[in-house]
Amino acid sequence: MKKIFQIVTLVLVIGSMAACNKSFDSLEADPNRATSVPANLILNNVLLNFTNGGFSTKQRSNQYYLCNYDYYGNNEYNWTGYSFGGYNTLKNIAQMEAEATKSVASPNPYTAIGKFLKAYFLYDLTMNLGDIPVSDALKGLTNVTPKYDTQKQVFQQILTYLEQANTEMGTLKTTNYVLASDFYYGNDLSKWQKAVNAFKLRVLIQLSNKEADADLAIKAKFAETISNPTKYPVFASDADNLTFVYNNQYNKYSTNPDNFGFDATRYNMSSTYLGNLASLKDPRTFFVAEPASALVASGKLPNSYDAFAGAGAGEDLATMSKNAGDGKYSFINRKRYYQTYTAETTTQVGYQELCFNMAEAAHRGWITGQSAETWYQNGIKASQAFYGVKEGANTVTFQKPNGTLAESVTYAVDYKYADYYAQATVKYAGSGTAGLNQILLQKYLSLYQNSGAEGYYNWRRTGVPTFHTGPGTGNSQRVALRYQYPSTERAVNKANVEAAIASQYGGADDINAKMWIIK
Amino acid sequence: MELRYVKVLRIDLCFKILNMISKQLRLQWIITPLMLLGLSLSSIAQNIQFKGKVIDADTKIALEAATILVKGQNQSARTNANGQFTISNVSPNASIVVSYVGYTSKTVAVSTGEVVITLVKEDVSLNEVVVTALGIKKEKKKLGYATQDVKGAELVKAREVNPINNLVGKVAGLTVGMNQEMLRLPNLVLRGGRVNLIVVDGIPINSDTWNISPDDIESYNVLKGPVASALYGYRGQNGAIIINTKKGTKDKRGFAVELNSSTTVQNGFIALPRTQDEYGPGDHGKYAFGDGLGGGINDADYDVWGPKFEGQLIPQYDSPVDPITGKRSSTPWLARGKDNLKRFIQSGILNTTNISVASSTEKADLRFSLGNTYNKGILPNTSLNITNLNLASTLRFNSKLTLDANINYSRQYSDNFPDVDYGPNSVIYNMTIWGGADWNIDDMKNYWQPGKEGVQSIYAEYQRYHNPYFMAYEWTRGHYKNDIYAYTSLTYKLNKYVDLFARTSATTYDLLRNEKMPFSAHPYGREEGKGDYREDKRGLFEMNNEFRANFRTPEIAKFFNISGFAGGNLRQFNYNSSFASTNYLNVPNVYNFANSRNPVLAYNFASEMRVRSLLYSVDIEANKYANLNITGRNDQLSALSKDNNSFFYPSFNLSTVLSDYLTMPKQINLLKLRASYAKVRGGGSFVNDYIGSTPNNSFPIGYGQQYQSTYGGPSYTYANVYSTGTGYNNTTQASFTNTLLDSDVQPDDRTNLEFGVESRLLNNRLGIEATYFSYLDGPQIFSKAISQASGFASYVVNGTKTKRTGYDFTVNGSILKKANGINWDVTLNVGAFKNILEELPAGVNVLNTFYTKGMRTDAIYIRKFARTQDGQIINDAGGRPTILPVAQFAGYSNPDFVWGVNNKVSYKAFTLNFQLDGRVGGMMEDYVRKKTFQGGRHIETIEGAMGLARFQDYKGVKSYLGEGVQVGSGAIAYDAVTGLITNYGSLTFAPNATKTYLQDYISRVHGIPEPNMMSKTYLKLREVVVTYELPAGLVKKSPFKKATVSLVGRNLMYWMPDSKFKDVDIDQYPGESSIGLQTPTTRSYGFNLNFIF
Repeated sequence: MKKIFQIVTLVLVIGSMAACNKSFDSLEADPNRATSVPANLILNNVLLNFTNGGFSTKQRSNQYYLCNYDYYGNNEYNWTGYSFGGYNTLKNIAQMEAEATKSVASPNPYTAIGKFLKAYFLYDLTMNLGDIPVSDALKGLTNVTPKYDTQKQVFQQILTYLEQANTEMGTLKTTNYVLASDFYYGNDLSKWQKAVNAFKLRVLIQLSNKEADADLAIKAKFAETISNPTKYPVFASDADNLTFVYNNQYNKYSTNPDNFGFDATRYNMSSTYLGNLASLKDPRTFFVAEPASALVASGKLPNSYDAFAGAGAGEDLATMSKNAGDGKYSFINRKRYYQTYTAETTTQVGYQELCFNMAEAAHRGWITGQSAETWYQNGIKASQAFYGVKEGANTVTFQKPNGTLAESVTYAVDYKYADYYAQATVKYAGSGTAGLNQILLQKYLSLYQNSGAEGYYNWRRTGVPTFHTGPGTGNSQRVALRYQYPSTERAVNKANVEAAIASQYGGADDINAKMWIIK
Repeated sequence: MELRYVKVLRIDLCFKILNMISKQLRLQWIITPLMLLGLSLSSIAQNIQFKGKVIDADTKIALEAATILVKGQNQSARTNANGQFTISNVSPNASIVVSYVGYTSKTVAVSTGEVVITLVKEDVSLNEVVVTALGIKKEKKKLGYATQDVKGAELVKAREVNPINNLVGKVAGLTVGMNQEMLRLPNLVLRGGRVNLIVVDGIPINSDTWNISPDDIESYNVLKGPVASALYGYRGQNGAIIINTKKGTKDKRGFAVELNSSTTVQNGFIALPRTQDEYGPGDHGKYAFGDGLGGGINDADYDVWGPKFEGQLIPQYDSPVDPITGKRSSTPWLARGKDNLKRFIQSGILNTTNISVASSTEKADLRFSLGNTYNKGILPNTSLNITNLNLASTLRFNSKLTLDANINYSRQYSDNFPDVDYGPNSVIYNMTIWGGADWNIDDMKNYWQPGKEGVQSIYAEYQRYHNPYFMAYEWTRGHYKNDIYAYTSLTYKLNKYVDLFARTSATTYDLLRNEKMPFSAHPYGREEGKGDYREDKRGLFEMNNEFRANFRTPEIAKFFNISGFAGGNLRQFNYNSSFASTNYLNVPNVYNFANSRNPVLAYNFASEMRVRSLLYSVDIEANKYANLNITGRNDQLSALSKDNNSFFYPSFNLSTVLSDYLTMPKQINLLKLRASYAKVRGGGSFVNDYIGSTPNNSFPIGYGQQYQSTYGGPSYTYANVYSTGTGYNNTTQASFTNTLLDSDVQPDDRTNLEFGVESRLLNNRLGIEATYFSYLDGPQIFSKAISQASGFASYVVNGTKTKRTGYDFTVNGSILKKANGINWDVTLNVGAFKNILEELPAGVNVLNTFYTKGMRTDAIYIRKFARTQDGQIINDAGGRPTILPVAQFAGYSNPDFVWGVNNKVSYKAFTLNFQLDGRVGGMMEDYVRKKTFQGGRHIETIEGAMGLARFQDYKGVKSYLGEGVQVGSGAIAYDAVTGLITNYGSLTFAPNATKTYLQDYISRVHGIPEPNMMSKTYLKLREVVVTYELPAGLVKKSPFKKATVSLVGRNLMYWMPDSKFKDVDIDQYPGESSIGLQTPTTRSYGFNLNFIF
C-alpha cells in the first residue's frame, strides 16, 4: 500500500515539475507585443492620425455641407471638450524619433518629419483651445501637471519647429537617407520640405491679427520665406500637395458606394458654400452638387445655376429634413462622390491655399514684388482644375431622377474663364476690404472638403464668408469660437487649466469667448 | 437457586463483555438478538415483559432498528421492521431510553401493554454540515461567516438551459442576472461583485457555467464573501460558488439507477416591445421603392416614419416590373406584415435527460452519469446541445488510504445560435426596431432572388436590413466547446492526529466559434456584401497541485479542541487563442480562408501564469462556548511585477452559540453570533476574469457581440509595449502604450468585516440568519488619469478606496406543519449593498468627470433637457427641447435590494413549490423603448396627441407642439463645469409656440436617455412545480423503487410598476445603467419525470 502512495506522490511531483520549464519571473512579460519597433511603423500610425478626410464633422463646422437627419447628426455648435488625443500622437512622434535615432543619429528623416508633425499637431490643439501645455508637455511622469503656455508662446514654438524641420530637410535631402512607410510623398524629403514651408505660410496668415507683434515678426518671416526659394522651397502646383490618396479596399473615401443608401439624402449642401458658388456662376457648382429636384420641377434647367440651392446651416433641422426630402436642396454630386471608393484626393496642405495666402500677404503689403491678383487667379484656376472644369465645353453628370446609383444623366455646360473672371463679384477689386474679401471668399471655396478646419478658421479670423446661424446651429444661434478644455484636465491638472482659463477667458471656459489669435 | 443465580450472573457478565466488544465494533445489531436469546433463557419472576412500538411523530411511520436501553440495567433492545420491540424481565419501576439516528431521544417509563412511542426528528439545520473552502466539511453551527446552501434536487425539475440560472432567488445576496439568450453568460453578482470562482468538490474550475450538469450536483453552497473564501486567495475576492457532486450511494442491491427527464416548451411572451403597424417605412411620410439601396424615395436604411397604410399605390419591393419599360409599378400600401415577429418566432423546446448509475461497496464508491440537454431556440434554425459525462469514484485501499477520482466532460455544441446585439446582425434590430409592417414574413421564406441563389437574397431593403429567414438559415454562428475538469486525490491517515492529503486537478477547455456570413449580408463595415468566414479558437489549461497535512489535537485541558491544516498549492495556467477572418470571399458559400478575396486577417494571443501558494487554517473549539478559525494564505503571482508579487491574506472568524451555554427563553432553540475579518489581496487588473477574441488589440469586426470567455490569466495591459495594427493600405502601423506603470504597484487590497446572527425559534419553526458586511477596497490597483499633455492618459498606481456595505438575510418558517395534513414552508432571501467612493488617488479631485469622495459609485449621469427654474422644458426656436451640454445625475443603477420567496407546500403525495422573486429600486435606460421611438415603431407614436400629429406629419404639416417654453429674450449661458444654466435672471420665457414635425421632435427627445429612464423594480412568478410521488402500492408493482411526476412552469408572470417599460425583461441587467436589445422572453412550461430503479 505504501508503494502505491509513493508512486502516486512521485507522479504528482513529476507532473507538476514537468510543466514548469520557464522561470517564474519570466512570466511577467507580455509575450505578444514588442517593446521596440522600427520607426517607420510609428510614422505610418502618425500619418494616419494626421490625415483629415472629406465629409467629416469638421467639414460641417466649415459649413460646406450639412446633416439633415437628427439620428446621424446635426449642424450645431454646442461644442464641449476638445480632445487632448493630439498629445498621444505627439508622444508617438517622440517615440518615432527615439526609435529612429537608435540606428541613425539625429538629425535623420524621422526627426525632420517629426518636427513638422509636432508643429502641425500643436497648431491643431491651440487653434481649437487657445493656451495649451507645450514647454512642460510630453514629459511623462516627470510632469503630470504641465503648465499651459500662452497661445503666443505656442505659435513661437510652432514656428521654431517649422524652421528646424526646413533646415534638417534641407540638409538631409542631399544625402543618402533611409525613410519608409511615407505614404504621402513616397519617402521623398524634398517634397516634405515644400509642405513644411507652405504650412508655415498658413500659420503666418492665421496670425494676421498679430501683424504688429514684434516678437513674432510675421511679416518679416513671410517675406523671408518667399524671397529665398532655395532655402525655403514651396509648392509650385497642386502636384506638390500634401495629399491623401484613397484606395479601394482599405482606405475608402468617406462617401462611397457602401454608404450611398445610408447618407445620400441625409446630407445636403450648405448655402454658405453652394450659395456663394452658384451666385458667382462658378462651374465648380456642377461638379460638387446636383440640382435641387424641386427647383428643376419648377422649371429651372438642371444645368443652370439657379437650379442649385443649399440649406442655411442655422435652419431648424426639422425644416431642413423635410425640405431636403421635398427636393428643395441640392445634394452632394453622386457621380463624383458616391460612385467609386476613391472620389478625390484630400489635400492636407495645398497649393491652392498657398496661392490665396500669397494673395492675401500681397494684398496686406507683407510682401513686395508679388501680385495679389495673379496669386488670386492662380488659386481660382487651380481649384477649378481640381474639379475638372475645362475651358469651353464641359460635360456634367447628375443623378437620374428616381434612378439608382449607377444611373445618371449628363448635361453640357459651357464655360469661359475670362467671362467668369470678368464678373464684378469675381474680378479682384484691388486694395481695400472688397478685394481682401474676394480673396478670402475664393480661399474658402477652394478649401471645400479639404485642409481640415481651415475653412472655419478662415471665417473666424476674418468673418468671410458670412456663416449662417439660426436654431439649427444651436449655441443660442451662434457659431462657437472655440472648444472647452477636456474635462479630465479639470480633474487632474486643475490649477494649471484654471489659470489658463482665467488669464484668457476671465475664468469661464466659454465656447463663445475669443482666444488671443483672433483678438 | 444458587446455580440459577450464578447462571444469571454469568450471562450478565458475558453480555457486558459482548456489549463492550459490540460498542467497539458497532455490532450491536448482531449482539442484540443474542442478548435477547440469553434473556429469554433466564427468567426472573418478579420482573415483567415490556412491549412497545416506535414511530415517527410526524409521518407515523414505524422506525426500524431504534435502540431501547433500560436505564440502570444492562438491558437493551432494537425494534424490528414494524417498529416493535419486546424487553422481558424488566423491573416495573424502570424507565427506558429510546433513541434513533436523526431523532431526539426520549425516556419512557416501563408499563404493561404495548406502548406507542413517538420520536421527533431533530432539526437538521441545527447540526447541518456544510462544505466550506477547499472542500472542508464543517458544522454550520461552528462557522463564523455567512454561507447558504441550496440542495441540488431543488433545481432539477423546472429547468433552465443554463443550470446556474436556477439559483435565482435562492440565495440571499446572490443576484443572478439571468440571460435568456442562447449561450450568453448569466451575470452572477454576489454582494455587488461578479463571482468568478466556481469550485467543484474543492477544486476551482474554469467555467462559464454552461458545463455544469445539475443532475450530478448534491448541493450548492454559496460562500458569500472573502471571509469565507480567503483560502482561495485572490480568486475568492468576491466569494465563491461551491458545488458538491453526487457520489456513489448505497442500496441493498449494491447499486442505484436514477433517470431524470424534463421537457418544457417556451411559448407566450412576458416582455415584448409594443410596436405600431399603421405606418410603414420612410421619412416624413414619404416612401417609394427604387432598388432598396437609395435609388427610390427613402428606400434604404429607413426609419418607420413613412406613409400610413391606406391602400394607396406605392412602388414596393415586390411590385411587378414592366419587362419592356423596366419600370416598377405601384401596388397597394397595406400592413401586410402585422405581427411579423410573432409569426416568425416559434415555440422553443428544452429537454434534459440524465441517467445515473451509482454503486457502493466496502472498498469503493462509484457513480457514472450521462446527460443531454437539447434546446431548440425560439428563433428559427437555432439550437443548442449539451452533453455531459461524469465519473466519480472512491477507492478505500484500507482504513488509512483513500483515493478519490472524478472526471467531468461536457460538450456544448450549436451549429447556429442567434446574435441579438444591436445592429443589422440581429433579427430583433431588423424586425422590431427598424422593420416596417409593409412586407409579410411569410413571403420571406424563399429568400434567394430567382437566378441569384447563393448570391443575392430577397428583402424589402438592401442597404442595412436583412430578410429574417435569410439570416436564420444562411448567416450562421457555430459554437463548439469541450470542457473537462478532473481530479485525483489521495488521503492517508497517518495516525489518530494527522492525515495527509494530496491532489492534482486540471480544468481545461477548447473552443471553436465560427461565423458563416453569406453573400448579400451587409452588417456594419461589410457593406460590399461579399460574405465572410471567421474562426475564433481558444484553449485554456489550468492545473493545481496541492498538498495538505490535516491535524487534530486531543482535547486540551478538557476544554480546547484544536484542528486544522497546513499545505501548499501550485497553480499553472496556459492560454492560447487565435482569431482569423476572411476579408470578403471570392466564391459564395465556400467558407474557407483560402477563399478570402483580400489577405486574411489573423490574430493570436498566448499567455502563461503561475501561482505559488502556502496556506494554513486552524480551528480552535473552546468547549461549547466558542469556535475560532484562523486562516492564512500567501500567494506569489507571476502576473505582477517581480518585487511585489508575493502577498499574504489573513482571515479570522469567531462564532458563539449563546443558546448552548446560556439559559434561553424556551421559544429560542438556537441563538448564535458570529464575527469575521479577512484581508484578501489580489492581482487587480493585472489579471482578467474574461477574455475577448483579440486581446490588447482592436477587434476587427464592427458588429454584433464580441465573445468573452472565462479566463483568469494575465492581462498584460500595462506593459510598456507597442500595439501594432493595420496601417495605410494594409501595411503595418505601431503606436506606443498610453499607460504608464508604477513599478512599485502593490497588490489590490480588500478588507472584509462581517457580523452575523443566527437563530431558530418556536420549536425550530422559525429560522433567521442575518449578516452585515463591509468591504473596504483599496488602495486598489488603479489606472489614474493624468494630464494627457504628459503624453500618456493614465498611470497605474495604488489609489482610490471604495467601501461597500450591505446586508443579507434569510428567514424561513413552517407556516403550516401537520402530520398527514398540509405543510407549508417558506424561505425569504433578501440582499442589499451599496458602494461608496471612500478615497480618491492623490492629485485627483474628481473621477470620471462626476465622482467625488463620498459618492456612490453606481450614480448614473445622463444628458438631460434644459429646464426653467420651475422645471419646464426649454425648447429652441424650432420648437424642440434644448439639451444641457453636460450630463446630469439621474439616480443609481444598482437595486436597493434583491429578494426571493420560496414556498413549499406539501399534502400527502403532492408537493407544490413556487417562487416569487424580484428587485426593488435602481434605474436604467430602456434602450428598446428609446430605439423603437426613434425608429417610429413605438405604439405610442400613433396614440393620443402624438397619433394626431403623426398623421399631420404624413400630410406634410408641422403640428406637434412640445411641452414647455421657449426663450423670449436672451441667450442661454451654461456653466462650463456643471453644464447648468447660469443666467436665468437675464432670460425671459414664453410658452412654446413653435409647432414641429413629430418625427423630428421624437428624434431630439429620444436622442438622450432622460425620457426612457426606468425603475428596475420588478417581480416575477419565477417557478411553479407540482410534484406527485407515486404511492408505494403502485410503485411496488412497477419496476421502479421510487417515481415522481411533476408539472413545471417558469417565468410565468412578470410585473413592474410602470407597464410602459414592460418591453424589456430586466433579469439580465442587475447593475447596468443601460441595456441592449434582447429577444422577447417567454414563459416556459412542461413536465418532469424522475424514476429510481
